[in-house]
Amino acid sequence: MREISYRDALREALREEMIRDPTVFLIGEDIGRYWGGAFKVTKGLAEEFGDERVRDTPISENAIIGVAVGAAITGMRPVAEIMFGDLTALAMDQIANQAAKIRYMFGGQAKVPLVIRTPFGGGVNIAAHHSQSLEAWFMHVPGLQVVVASTPYDAKGLLKTAIRNDNPVVFCEHKLLYPLTGHVPEEEYTIPFGVADVKREGTDVTVVATLYMVHKALAAAETLAKEGISVEVVDPRTLVPLDKETITESVRKTGRVVIVTEDCKTAGVSAELAALIAEEALDYLDAPIKRVTTFDVPIPFSPPLENFVIPDEKRIIKAIKEII
Amino acid sequence: MPALLRMPKLSLTMKTGTVVRWYKREGETVEKGEPIVEVLSEKVTCDVEAPASGVLRKIVAKEGEEIPVNGILAVITMPDEPLPEIEEIEKAVTVEFKKPVEKRILASPAAKRLAREYGIDLSQVVGSGPEGRIVEADVRRFIEEKVGYAPKIREAIPLVGIRKMTAEKVSLSKKTAPHCTITMKVDMNEATKLKEKLGVSYTEIIVKAVALALKEHPIMNSSLKNDKIEVYEDVNIGVAVATGEGLVVPVVKNADRKNLNQLSSEIKMLVEKARTGKLEKGDVSGGTFTITNLGMYGVEAFTPIINPPETAILGVGKIEEIPIVVNGEVKIRPVTVLSLSFDHRVIDGAPAAEFLGKIKEFLEKPSRLEN
Amino acid sequence: MLPSSDKLVWMFRKMLEIRHFEEKVYELYGQNLVPGTIHLYVGEEAVAVGVCANLRKDDYITSTHRGHGHCIAKGGDLKRIMAEILGKRTGYCKGKGGSMHIADFSIGMLGATAVVGAGIPIAAGAGLSIKLRGTDQVVACFFGDGASNQGTFHEGINMAAIWKLPVLFVCENNLYAMGTRQSMVMLIENVADRAAAYGIPGVVVDGNDVLAVYEAAKQAVERARKGEGPTLIECKTYRHKGHSRFDPATYRPKEEVEEWLKKDPIPRFRNKLVEMGVLTENEAKGIEEEVLAEIEEAVKFALESPYPKPEEALEDVYA
Repeated sequence: MREISYRDALREALREEMIRDPTVFLIGEDIGRYWGGAFKVTKGLAEEFGDERVRDTPISENAIIGVAVGAAITGMRPVAEIMFGDLTALAMDQIANQAAKIRYMFGGQAKVPLVIRTPFGGGVNIAAHHSQSLEAWFMHVPGLQVVVASTPYDAKGLLKTAIRNDNPVVFCEHKLLYPLTGHVPEEEYTIPFGVADVKREGTDVTVVATLYMVHKALAAAETLAKEGISVEVVDPRTLVPLDKETITESVRKTGRVVIVTEDCKTAGVSAELAALIAEEALDYLDAPIKRVTTFDVPIPFSPPLENFVIPDEKRIIKAIKEII
Repeated sequence: MPALLRMPKLSLTMKTGTVVRWYKREGETVEKGEPIVEVLSEKVTCDVEAPASGVLRKIVAKEGEEIPVNGILAVITMPDEPLPEIEEIEKAVTVEFKKPVEKRILASPAAKRLAREYGIDLSQVVGSGPEGRIVEADVRRFIEEKVGYAPKIREAIPLVGIRKMTAEKVSLSKKTAPHCTITMKVDMNEATKLKEKLGVSYTEIIVKAVALALKEHPIMNSSLKNDKIEVYEDVNIGVAVATGEGLVVPVVKNADRKNLNQLSSEIKMLVEKARTGKLEKGDVSGGTFTITNLGMYGVEAFTPIINPPETAILGVGKIEEIPIVVNGEVKIRPVTVLSLSFDHRVIDGAPAAEFLGKIKEFLEKPSRLEN
Repeated sequence: MLPSSDKLVWMFRKMLEIRHFEEKVYELYGQNLVPGTIHLYVGEEAVAVGVCANLRKDDYITSTHRGHGHCIAKGGDLKRIMAEILGKRTGYCKGKGGSMHIADFSIGMLGATAVVGAGIPIAAGAGLSIKLRGTDQVVACFFGDGASNQGTFHEGINMAAIWKLPVLFVCENNLYAMGTRQSMVMLIENVADRAAAYGIPGVVVDGNDVLAVYEAAKQAVERARKGEGPTLIECKTYRHKGHSRFDPATYRPKEEVEEWLKKDPIPRFRNKLVEMGVLTENEAKGIEEEVLAEIEEAVKFALESPYPKPEEALEDVYA
């Protein structure tokens, strides 16, 4: 079985979709032939498809998304890259007020087939302006779809679906995932939105985790297995639409749930997941819902500080043991 | 301000307590917190302490008396305070009286759900979770230990309407009328020919046969009331009909005086009314004998329960083609089994058998049924 | 070069449609038939009409909160615009957009955004789409003097400039951003001067002279269709009414208002057409009557149309 990196899986998805559909084009800062993207996801694509379809831009996040919106409503399928997730703040009007609302506001006249790729997350010591996890912002805007791909396999399948999808999609990546390798088939496949993946089966407690936290949760599950605690790890894969069934089904089975996300706690992804479980599976809970998230602070620079605020395996294990 | 000594609630389920003995007499001084009376509830005795310091002015509950929880046991006042009427004190005190706060039982939602499903009182369950929280496993253990492996309840259907009436009727019948059931095979060959000739149903033919047999054996057409057996003149035959709502028994009045065609149309009309829930009171009252048919469900013979206050009921089984001996020859014939349950207080086995034999005779030689 | 007589009459007619339509909306508003608020285009008709007279059906425009005129000039259906303003199901957006969000994708009207300046990068994006698809369409992007202080103005025009996108950036400078006078927020007199910063032509025209606007837009469209890139056209104009229905516009000096009312683009163009012999007074009057009748019909259609069912609010969120 072929193993490739998350980064290469994303590039394969982009490349295959660009070959398949001439209306697909890439737009973003330093994604072209000179740099190939800050995380090298688009490396080599400008050489193959030309500068017109792999378009370097000025440092103008709001216009990158605005231009992508304009192209999307007039027949193109842009894939915009915002170099760091934190910088989506600069483009928020175009994302939240334009891309998300155009279809609805105009009574369904328009389609906005736009993908916004952006890496979130900390762990690489680049401090508060390049490390935050903001998935919840986008979940809160009706009209957007939100993808959180945690493995190379998911990344490729979900990105292809996102590109073919007629809605604006915020495709959340994670910096630490880019070098991660995993099985990716040679043959064509896509992964539908709204289908969660049980990354590990277990019976004692459900851990719902996203992005890089999936891997920390899996490591915690492995450790706990040695102590006889059986952990089920559920990865929603898309936050909008959300596979409520798989999540609540797992909680009904285990009666206990720990939600692990890298965004901060207040009004975060974990809050929405906890509310869902409380609303739809309360009678099956045998312990309070636990959340393990980044503390409610901006991401600090110094490694001991950053490591402290972002959830790690130990915190996940501690949370699980508190309710077992 | 006088203080009232009340019967305490010593357990969640306690409703009353008995005064065992008073440690103090009227007029004696008491200190707040000092035990002044012993009470008994659910085999547990307990001292009750003075709610205030003062004088035990009046003992309301005598030794040996049973007092409801919160009922007044005694009145304590200051030494120089006059003793008011109890009602006055009650009024004055109830304003201040605070309902005791019951300690909330900590239990997980899953534990609560399971307890609800098995009707378990969570106060009886010991919790093993954090802060003594009852978790699902605690309830499960409790069920296994205390309740045994009780089946899980899916839903509780209230006993109302037809179901309730049926329940009352069949238990009354089984309780009061000693049932005896006898069965008899009937060759339905001729009855089948008649059925095809007239275009009527087996049930209708059987109703007619029973009506005529009742005319010849009137004791079967009766009710035991106190110390009298009332034998009826009218032959009103009930036909049990299963509906979505339950069992109903519309009655064909004077079945003996109607020909088969009349019976047929009347029964069809009654069954239709039963199935659509349109039966009126007159349609279901005045029955003197009942016929119940489970043949269409493949039942061969059964022990029907008499429809009180009637004396007997006839159960009809399925009509099945089987080989039987007719005039020394084996023939394939449609055969049914009739099951007659009768009230042994009214009639004995032999006359009941003769009655059943009469029905068999009418069905096997049905020429008389045609009139 | 002057447009053909037919085109001139078409322009006159469109200007009248906008004027009388807006006045009708104002009247209906007074009768409590229009929910929310309205931003009227009265006084600025020459801009939308002068620009759109150069556009084909497959060309695009983007519009603003003051957008009724843009949609009418691009060929929008008066009935469906009026129905939308009244919140009716037969409106362009099925009652989901209202006065500030009218769109008709079938005629290239890519919609009115009510976030000031937000349409600028979107217009650039439509231009990029044209370039990538290799057609000769153009985009006209309408926005106000207020929008020219937004970051999107800089980001969007710069991108369109560096990529030579076929876009006309049409600044409707009516001197006020809500109640804020241009001189309070800009040290330059002409927004068009900013074009130099992006290396594109910047033109100032009398926005109340439809022929001047037409001529400027004509050159910009030609340039765009040839792949030479965008132009910034600043049209100096004035809104006859306040910013919105609730605004008495007391911040504007009386003399200024009077002076601008004298420059009303419609009588000016009417006189010119009569002078040029394109129309007689009677013909002009006839056109006006036809327009009024058409608007009455639109009002009737809108009033008689049903409101959407409440649960229709849940539709059209996702494709």
